[in-house]
Amino acid sequence: MKLRRPARMADRETVVALIDVTFFLLIFFMLVGRLDATAPFTVKPPIGTTGTDLPAGGITLSLSDTGALALDGAPITRAALATAVTTRITQNPKVLIRINADQATELRHVLLLITQFEDLGARDVALIVTPEGP
Amino acid sequence: MAFALKRPPKRHAMISVVSMIDVMMILLFFFMVTSTYLNLDMVPALQKSEEMPGDAPAGAGTPTTLLIRIAADGQTMIGGQTIDTAALTTLLQSRLAADPLTPVVLFPSGGAHLQDLIRLMDTVTRSGAVRVKVIRIEAAP
Repeated sequence: MKLRRPARMADRETVVALIDVTFFLLIFFMLVGRLDATAPFTVKPPIGTTGTDLPAGGITLSLSDTGALALDGAPITRAALATAVTTRITQNPKVLIRINADQATELRHVLLLITQFEDLGARDVALIVTPEGP
Repeated sequence: MAFALKRPPKRHAMISVVSMIDVMMILLFFFMVTSTYLNLDMVPALQKSEEMPGDAPAGAGTPTTLLIRIAADGQTMIGGQTIDTAALTTLLQSRLAADPLTPVVLFPSGGAHLQDLIRLMDTVTRSGAVRVKVIRIEAAP
């Protein structure tokens, strides 16, 4: 008589640990990241060691080293910028305007913008810096 | 004679988690690939809400005002003389020791770069100055 052994079944691998790790990573990236519109051109912020924490929200105006502008990630002309900023200030007079200018941008572009925003009624304008070197 | 028929225990239907893992993996890769992590701070350029009514504008005519010029090439100048960061820090500390409220006015050239202004603002702030103003260039009519 020939005895047949039952077919050997492979151990079922548990995926619980994989799900745990994936969930952990997913939540980590969702919590520590802040989705923000990026400029359509390269902007390397100036290095500043005495800056304060950058609050979320507000308007982000990107300024390239050649003077090109982008408002919340979308390219914009200087003429259209005044209208767009005025609309936002009308909606929220305390809106924070963040100028994300390249470190090689000439000050005649940057200071002119600050003056323009002040004339439009802006109350809070901040320059974005990074505390880290290259 | 009675028979007790035993039913096999009812097995729960298994829910496949493969789809959930797929979705989680896609989300994870999305966040990992599209995220750019930057450590950003801010330097106030205009704060009208914090202006005091009695805070007189610190102009060049105020006797204790320290006027610092930034040339187009980024050089820092006081009284027409170029000054390096160490000497400027010493000068600022001595002036602020005599009068902690000494107004410091920065007058940058339009051709200087933003990094030059931020570097000077860092030096002035680290020296302990609390009344720092930047002269802005008015647009040509």
